[in-house]
Amino acid sequence: MRILLIEDDKEAASYVARGLREHGHVVDHAATGQDGMFLAGGGHDVLIVDRMLPGLDGLGLVRALREAGIKAPVLFLTALRSIGDRVKGLEAGGDDYLVKPFAFAELLARVNALARRPPLVEVRTTLHVADLEMDLLKRSVIRDGRRVDLQPREFQLLEYLMRNAERVVTRTMLLESVWDFHFDPKTNIVETHISRLRAKLAQGGGAELIHTVRGAGYALRAPTPDAP
Amino acid sequence: MSTAFLPRLLRATSFRLAALYVGLFAISALVLAAAVFLVTRSAIQQQMQDRIAAEVVFLREEFRTGGLDRLLAVVRARGRGESALDYLVQDSKGTRLAGEMAPVRGLRTGWATVEVSEPSEDEGKLQRVRELVTDLGGGVRLAVGDDLGRVADVEEAIATAFLWTMGLAALLGIGGGVLLSRAFLKRVDAIARTAEAIIGGDLARRVPVRGTGDDLDRLAGTLNRMLDRIGALMDSLRQVSSDVAHDLRTPLSRLYQRLEEARAYARSAPEYEAAIDGALAEAEGLLGTFSALLRIAQVEGASRLAAFGTVDLSAVAEAVADAYRPDAEEAGHHVAIEASPGIVVHGDQELLTQVIANLVENALRHTPKGTRIVVHLARDGAAGARLSVEDNGPGASAEDLPRLTHRFYRGERSRTTPGNGLGLSLVAAVADLHGARLRLEDAEPGLRVSLLFPALPPSVVA
Repeated sequence: MRILLIEDDKEAASYVARGLREHGHVVDHAATGQDGMFLAGGGHDVLIVDRMLPGLDGLGLVRALREAGIKAPVLFLTALRSIGDRVKGLEAGGDDYLVKPFAFAELLARVNALARRPPLVEVRTTLHVADLEMDLLKRSVIRDGRRVDLQPREFQLLEYLMRNAERVVTRTMLLESVWDFHFDPKTNIVETHISRLRAKLAQGGGAELIHTVRGAGYALRAPTPDAP
Repeated sequence: MSTAFLPRLLRATSFRLAALYVGLFAISALVLAAAVFLVTRSAIQQQMQDRIAAEVVFLREEFRTGGLDRLLAVVRARGRGESALDYLVQDSKGTRLAGEMAPVRGLRTGWATVEVSEPSEDEGKLQRVRELVTDLGGGVRLAVGDDLGRVADVEEAIATAFLWTMGLAALLGIGGGVLLSRAFLKRVDAIARTAEAIIGGDLARRVPVRGTGDDLDRLAGTLNRMLDRIGALMDSLRQVSSDVAHDLRTPLSRLYQRLEEARAYARSAPEYEAAIDGALAEAEGLLGTFSALLRIAQVEGASRLAAFGTVDLSAVAEAVADAYRPDAEEAGHHVAIEASPGIVVHGDQELLTQVIANLVENALRHTPKGTRIVVHLARDGAAGARLSVEDNGPGASAEDLPRLTHRFYRGERSRTTPGNGLGLSLVAAVADLHGARLRLEDAEPGLRVSLLFPALPPSVVA
């Protein structure tokens, strides 16, 4: 993937750029809003933009990019933590928001989610992953022909995992989108729900679908053919 | 009065207002005076002409019934009397037969204004006279007139009266303006002196309030409340700084020791890894504490009011209880919810979610297995709401209760449980932001934390 990183802090920029390159991405870096604006026309898959930039600030930059017709998804990085700022960032045309300091795995998961985000207009009424089938209208889940009974929250959790199948989703991403919790609860809400969901999905046998990715989060993956 | 008083006075708002009013008053008085003047003058002139016309009719009648001799006798008698009118009877040759006005050759009939000199009055000065001349027949002409000077006298009297009253009014207006401005300036000076004193470091100073409830008093009251708020924020900032310095030393030194230890003793990769993991966990805890502090600071700074909206508290409470139930059950706790549906408050949904979550987490963390935790939500009073989270655990001691909301404060029993002592501080700050009262009480047994939300403002309901 080609990623444009617009970040003025040298150390933060090299940390992010190195990590992304290690994961096989091509990273262009701009240290000011103006440079970012200049480079942004280069057909990048994802833009990572710091909110506080010298010259042209992140919000203004993204607004200008959107006006110029550049549609690449934007992930804001910010040291500010307030809902007002998040809302402002999304209104300006950003697609996601990550507060510093962050774990690199979190950034990577969000960049991957953004890059492969399906178009918003797409209307799907069923989701399929391996032998798992979800009917969004009937709110029902069937695995290998057997009905799986889920609580509403478990259903939402599974829906999010299925929509992001084959990708890592972090605990924070789950808290934000499934529970609408924009803070870090000190208990194991996510872990407990995941383990209940796993247990329910495993009732009729079958391979494990929800995988724990150490230090990052979870991923729903179809079993590879050679696995038992 | 100091030398700088005059220019200051001229700039003072109250003085300018007074001067403006005086000016406006003067203009309106002038218009009124002009109107009165014109109306009066025309009325007096009309009256004068009516009198002259009536006299002419009378004299004509005398002439018709008594002939010229009778007319002359009457005119002469009038001339001696106190009648204010002037007369002239002249024959066809222009010779005066009677009256005091000078004869005029070719005297034309009808109304006229003439200037005559009358030796008997005013030392022969010229007088403007309004006269009516009639032809009585046989060349005999009669003129009856009146001194226009009398009209001028009335005009002058009116003008003088107006000048006096206007002068007096202007004087009173300006004088009143000066007095008002001085009183106003004195109070503004008092406010300025207070501000200067505060700039100089005397933060406890407040603007004097006179208790009259006038504009300046209300301004002073508002300023004082602003100063109180700033003072409270400064105090809490000072408190936070020292708390932070004090309470972050421990985890920071633990972090330092771990790294130092690793450097000195770690030999293998797994040992380094363990040390790094430990340091990361420690750093994560520190970051968590910082973000909790930041969040409290943000809430106390009320910078989040912009995110306020109508929040379905029932739904939020349900969602939180629902989120924690599986986890709590795994740990051997029971989480129950008793919420009346459709309770709505004006607030920040994200913060309210976090508050309920904090309270439930607190209850989970500080109570033993088998404890029952109840999230309770009901209407309270007219339209307000009461949200409480209650457990039947060991509760808090009476001396701990009031201190639980202090930053970093941990009750005697909970020193050893994980946590940063900031959860209830955030709850208190959020309650304050929402105008809700926070109450911590003994649930006998256990702890009950209640938030009493005020009724929705009417504008939000509509």
